[in-house]
Amino acid sequence: MSNSEKKISLPSEAVKIYQIIDENGNISIRELEKQTKLDRGKLEYYLGFLVTNELISRLEIVSHQISLTNNGKEAAENQLVERRIAKILKEKVSVSFADLSKLVNTENKEMNAGVGLLKKQGLIKIDKGQIIIIDKKKEVNRELQIILEQLLSGETADTSDFNEILLQRNLASLEEVKDILLEILIPYKEVSSSIQKMSEVSRLTPEMIRDGSWRDTRLREYNLKASPPTFYGGRKQPYAEFLDEVKQKLCALGFKEMRGPIVELEFWNFDALFQAQNHSAREWSDVYQVSNPKQGKLPKADYVENVKKAHENGYDTGSKGWGYKWDPLKSAHLVLRAHGTSVSARTLVDLEVPSKYFSISRCYRPDTVDATHLSEFTQVEGIVVDPSITFRDLLGILKSFAVDIAENENFKFKPDYYPFTEPSVELDVLDPNLGWIEFGGAGIFRPEVTKPFGIEAPVIAWGLGIERLFMVKNGITDIRELFSHKFDWLRTAKMSRG
Amino acid sequence: MVSIKASYKKMQEMLGKQLSIEQLEDLLSYAKSEIDQYIEEEDMLVIDIKTSNRPDLWSPEGMIREIKGILEEESGIPEYEVKESGYVVKVDSQLASTRPYIACAIAKNISLTDYHIKQIMQLSEKIDYSYGRQRKRSSIGFYNLSMIKSPIEYKVIEETHEFIPLESTEKMSLERILEEHEKGKEFGHIVKEYGHYPILLSADGTTLSLPPVINSNDVGRITEETTDSLIEVTGTNFETVNVVLNILCQVLVTHGAEIYSVKIEYPPDIYKESVITPLFDKEEIKINLDVVNKCLGTKMKPKDAAKLIAKRRFSCNSIDGNILTIEIPPYRKDILHWVDIAEELAIALDYNKIGPTKWKVLTTGGLLPETESENLVRNILVGAGGTEVLTNILTDPEILTTRVNIDKQDYVKIENPVTSTYSVMRKMIYPLLINVLSKNTHETYPQMLFEVGEIVKLIDKKVITQSNAAFLCADADASFEDVHKRLNQLLSLLNTDYEIKQVNHPSFTEGRCGQIIIENKECGIIGEIHPSILENNQIWVPVVGFEIELPLIPSLKCKVKSTD
Repeated sequence: MSNSEKKISLPSEAVKIYQIIDENGNISIRELEKQTKLDRGKLEYYLGFLVTNELISRLEIVSHQISLTNNGKEAAENQLVERRIAKILKEKVSVSFADLSKLVNTENKEMNAGVGLLKKQGLIKIDKGQIIIIDKKKEVNRELQIILEQLLSGETADTSDFNEILLQRNLASLEEVKDILLEILIPYKEVSSSIQKMSEVSRLTPEMIRDGSWRDTRLREYNLKASPPTFYGGRKQPYAEFLDEVKQKLCALGFKEMRGPIVELEFWNFDALFQAQNHSAREWSDVYQVSNPKQGKLPKADYVENVKKAHENGYDTGSKGWGYKWDPLKSAHLVLRAHGTSVSARTLVDLEVPSKYFSISRCYRPDTVDATHLSEFTQVEGIVVDPSITFRDLLGILKSFAVDIAENENFKFKPDYYPFTEPSVELDVLDPNLGWIEFGGAGIFRPEVTKPFGIEAPVIAWGLGIERLFMVKNGITDIRELFSHKFDWLRTAKMSRG
Repeated sequence: MVSIKASYKKMQEMLGKQLSIEQLEDLLSYAKSEIDQYIEEEDMLVIDIKTSNRPDLWSPEGMIREIKGILEEESGIPEYEVKESGYVVKVDSQLASTRPYIACAIAKNISLTDYHIKQIMQLSEKIDYSYGRQRKRSSIGFYNLSMIKSPIEYKVIEETHEFIPLESTEKMSLERILEEHEKGKEFGHIVKEYGHYPILLSADGTTLSLPPVINSNDVGRITEETTDSLIEVTGTNFETVNVVLNILCQVLVTHGAEIYSVKIEYPPDIYKESVITPLFDKEEIKINLDVVNKCLGTKMKPKDAAKLIAKRRFSCNSIDGNILTIEIPPYRKDILHWVDIAEELAIALDYNKIGPTKWKVLTTGGLLPETESENLVRNILVGAGGTEVLTNILTDPEILTTRVNIDKQDYVKIENPVTSTYSVMRKMIYPLLINVLSKNTHETYPQMLFEVGEIVKLIDKKVITQSNAAFLCADADASFEDVHKRLNQLLSLLNTDYEIKQVNHPSFTEGRCGQIIIENKECGIIGEIHPSILENNQIWVPVVGFEIELPLIPSLKCKVKSTD
């Protein structure tokens, strides 16, 4: 691998250090500390870059260092004891042991060693307790004295010739010193062109974590004010998510979910709901007819028979009925579910009492699609059955829909019309921007609807204008947006909650 | 729903008070109507009436009649005097099987402004269209009485009979009218089904009209100068023609007209006797107030109920304990059952004053297992990075076929589409997702999208609804692996073993497409979309994807729903 091809990012301080090491060839950290005047921590941080990039290597070395003992320090300051004795004798020529002891002012053992040393070197003689100088010219242990003074002052001194005597006389001791030697692996000039100066590291790498170099590494601060790159994670369709939320709320209110087929028999879409077969809502222009196949199979014969009677003469409900001849072939026609009430109608078979149901279903009407109409739309519908339930309870149900689902305490009721309920009511809620808007409709199923299925208890049928609510909450003015194909909206539309 | 136009100023005049739009709308709610629009420059209100079974409300006069009851300015059934006119209509027994019934009245001393004539024409059109089922069940005609001599004949005539129809200057044969006249083309099919031509003739042979198609240009036209008019309703239902006539007479009376009756002479094979119209048959209904109170959750006393029902323009004819006998106004035929009276009483009490209860039907709620299953799949696909989309189930056959290299298939089709864009039911979802991709080529890639939704298909001539899940990934670097790993994760999280068997499919590149097999059943497809489809849809990056039928994943609880 050629280093010149690879860019090496180094903090500028590390580059300076690299150059110093390069100039010195090898250098100990201790020495480097002196030259760079950096503290050990910083130095290690910058050396880390050089080591990681394999520009230098670290080698641990052990050296021995001689240092003065207390004796040695005293001798360095006050002269070695033998030199002091020699100085006194040069003045006095002869002196007794007792007087010398006073003049030298040291321990006897020390003094004796000094006297012995002078005698050995032939400078003095001892005669009847008197110490007498023989050679006044000769200087004693001058080199040793210089070494001591050098060691004291911290100057570098070559002690190798004196180590033995220093240690012997307890003037100095020998200590082990550890140091780190930095060795150049690649000379600076070979890589200088590929060095990029940097002050810190921007990325924490797996290697840094593994080899512990993160400890000696400063990770550059992020610019927290910079805009992040665009990111689109997976998400649910905003309207679908809103419907999920409505389902959750209805479940919390004790409603069970029901579902039905999209292609529906006219029987369930209209006849079971007491909509006369010549009713205008059953016209070609109001409901999608299926062309293949055109007909389905009607349900259990007795239900069909009862529904027929309800239309023709009111069955045993006390109603007049519509007074026409009911046609089972018309009833078996297939249409696209025009309202969610067809799902409720199917639920009337073997209906559990009491019970509460809801459905959220796609419904279809042959409208021209524009900003306020879809030919495929969503209806939220349901039923509540209980033997003791009243019209006032129905208003109570609508109230809880206003408060819990539309989250709106401002609501009012208006008379309404559905072919299958009586009495019928509209629920309006007050939007701060749009004024009163219709949010729901409800009513008690006519007996002509429930009795043919053997239900004696009142059944409340209700529906909510959930598309409008979603549009109002999200500031959408075009209903086509609910099924929008625009990725821009699908990716960035705000969440409905909150 | 029926929508009408009316003058805001005239409505206030008729009510005898100045009202803001909001105040008027509040009052209109008692007539189940609401203001859709107010066009100030034209002094025009567009009013939507929610009832399809109350044609008596489809005019300002009818709504105001209702409001005056609520305001307690008028009460009970409105009454007017009907004098005999001496006019007779003779009905031909040949009409027995086609359009046998007719109801007529004469209105004298009418002074209608252009506005009111237009209003009455609007009401007639709305009734003809909706309540009259586009004139099939009933149709209305107004005539200038001065040009008509009694007895009038309502009979069958040969197709060569000629008269000058409205909006024309020349005599036309009945046959020609059906072929060439605008109204003939619109309503001629009703007459064609009869197999003969019904006609209304004055005693002197003058043609009044060809019901229900067109009036004659002279007799059958009323203007501001018309003071006396004959009103006629023909149809297939005795009750319908009579109630429609009653509605019209009631409106004319509001404008000061005097109403005269006409004698209808039916042959015995149509009706057992002659009938004097307008017909007021004083229909009554008995209600048990205890039952009504129980239904509404109210505590009305019989006398209060009698007063309340009069506010709704009914009359309480007798009170016997808790049983009230209530007379229904002659312009209403929507009262079939006591529940209909219960609603009238609730409206008179005012829904907002009755007030809601703290309802309490204690039940346990919950989603269906199939919805829970779909949510599970949706959550996994969101986790896989997919953007969820909702597309139409009723869709464009082109998107499902040519745009994904597929020949025409046995889709469930719509007989009466408004546009071909919405004319067949999808049986796969991925073609719609490709369509979504084709509309987002300017957006950032990768684009990963999915839909979990219903599809409709034919199985053994039965129509079923079921849920599928489709996932597509579009990106310059997209490869089979991108969706294979996601399908694998989906099915492994769903604890489902599967195999992929190589297959050729026109939407996918050969050798890069496989069937998803679970428990030896084909339940989906996975692969790389064929470049020709990408080119055709102008998607300039590779697209890979899969679609799987949820009912065939054994650990899910998705069911196939049959219509039968």
